[in-house]
Amino acid sequence: MDAPMRFFDPHIHMTSRTTDDYEAMAAAGIRAIVEPAFWLGQPRTTIGSFVDYYASLVGWERFRASQFGVAHLCAIGLNSKEANNESLAKEVLEVLPRYAFKEGVVAIGEIGYDEITAAEERAYEWQLEFARENDMVVMVHSPHRDKKRGIIRSIEVAANVGVPMEKLVIDHNTEETVEDTLNAGAWAAFTIYPNTKMGSQRMVELVKKYGPERIIVDSSADWGVSDALSVPRTAKLMLEQGVDAEAVTKVTWQNALDAYAQSGQIDVEALLAKPVIDQSKLFSDNSVLRGQEPRVDAAMPN
Amino acid sequence: MTAHDCLSAWIAARLAGDERVSTWREERRAEIAAGVDDTRFAGLVSLASRFIPRAALAPTDAELEEAEVALAGWNPERWDLLEAARVELILDHARAAGAGFEAALEGAFRYADDGELRALYKSLALLPGGEQFAWQAKEGCRTNIVPVFESIACDNPYPFRHFDDVAWKQLCIKAIFIDAPLWRVWGLDRRLSPDMARMALDLVDERRSAGRDVQHELWLCLGEHGGERGLESLERELAGDRILGRRAAALALARAGRTERLQALVETEGEPTVAQAMRDALEGHHDQGAFRALDPRN
Ligand SMILES: [Zn+2]
Repeated sequence: MDAPMRFFDPHIHMTSRTTDDYEAMAAAGIRAIVEPAFWLGQPRTTIGSFVDYYASLVGWERFRASQFGVAHLCAIGLNSKEANNESLAKEVLEVLPRYAFKEGVVAIGEIGYDEITAAEERAYEWQLEFARENDMVVMVHSPHRDKKRGIIRSIEVAANVGVPMEKLVIDHNTEETVEDTLNAGAWAAFTIYPNTKMGSQRMVELVKKYGPERIIVDSSADWGVSDALSVPRTAKLMLEQGVDAEAVTKVTWQNALDAYAQSGQIDVEALLAKPVIDQSKLFSDNSVLRGQEPRVDAAMPN
Repeated sequence: MTAHDCLSAWIAARLAGDERVSTWREERRAEIAAGVDDTRFAGLVSLASRFIPRAALAPTDAELEEAEVALAGWNPERWDLLEAARVELILDHARAAGAGFEAALEGAFRYADDGELRALYKSLALLPGGEQFAWQAKEGCRTNIVPVFESIACDNPYPFRHFDDVAWKQLCIKAIFIDAPLWRVWGLDRRLSPDMARMALDLVDERRSAGRDVQHELWLCLGEHGGERGLESLERELAGDRILGRRAAALALARAGRTERLQALVETEGEPTVAQAMRDALEGHHDQGAFRALDPRN
């Protein structure tokens, strides 16, 4: 890239990433991220696990990110997989309003369908209602199996509940679903995974074909094989292959910012200001840094 | 004026120009006075961030004096307006809820984010019967989220008044570990001890064995309790080449009562800021507040 760029990764699960990732992300120009609440790779068995997870999203993880100059935002929600444990799901939905209005919570998410069961639909509808009542953005996870039908249904149900389409982000789109999402008026997010689903090259073709409006690129990096640098890597490829810089900025920064700034929880001015990391203020043996010299006044690369 | 009255007057003055926010505050205070359940109380403390600006409270000198009169050691110098407004709501609820307040406060702590935690910890010293929350206050010192740690440990008279020896010493040494300003731990000079000096000196040795600089505030922990071991350790720091460490060690020599040694050193000291620290120390400026000048954040 000729000019250094800044990036917004609006879907990444930092709780399962290391400080190496944070360092690499900051160095690659990732200024802000959204960490949506999801499952942990195995089902939780008690409400306390959810409480502590939500608390970590608005607490420790936010602090950890700040030490690397990355603004950590999050979405709070009950994911579709665990919605199927109905008695636990009921408890989770009772506690969810306690976290939905915390600082830095930009959406209800990620919610939606996994197997497209009745229990999933009940939890999804309840959360859509909650979001509509409180004028919140919704981040929808689309199912891996039966994706196209899942996405169409996610949009229909959201529309029926009365969630405005400009407040709806549909994630994990593919070539087969992008038109359904864009035609509905929702934001179409694409997850760039190494090897599976969407790759960077396919993303380049998509942006060439559909243009940059309402299209968002994210990494969805988590505890599985995934790449925390998907967003900057995809931007690089787009630029190399002739997508114009303005369009690249839209899909890797501005659109996500516009979508989630509707929450009023993003200090856009602070985000635009050139961040300077002074780890001597924040790092120490017992927080995150262990023995290494703090980076003082190290400018971000963008 | 009570601390509660002080806060209310300061906040009202600062919000006077903003009708939307002032109205929100007044209505919520009235709601709390009329009685709210635990969930609503926690919700209101949380919601304040959507209304009250996060601007610095920036108390005037007169207001800082009012604070000190209301409660010795209460120092809102670095508070922001949102924290102040949240603490006011907490004090309002303490007044309204009576015996039910304890459970309400526990609930608020349980679901708090960092900003709320800072306000909750800052409220503890101002609460009537606040000593019953010592366990919670100690939890605040177990966090590694530095701003939360500082909200209970720094500029706050609570730990000095209500922490047992183990918790107090852990707080002081941990402040150094996580790079929170130890000089801002209220009452430090009055609760130094031989055991705290030993812990500090052990840490000095550990740092030196690892080839690392000694954090200059470790010298603050010795007071008059460092003994021969402390003096030897200070001499080694003074013979080194780190200016901040040498300035702190000069203050520490004075704190240990070694003024003749300091007198001898100042005559040959070539580094101007170290020499100045030595002269200041000889004039009696070596209490914990004297370490403010060494704080890189100031
Ligand atoms: Zn995800």
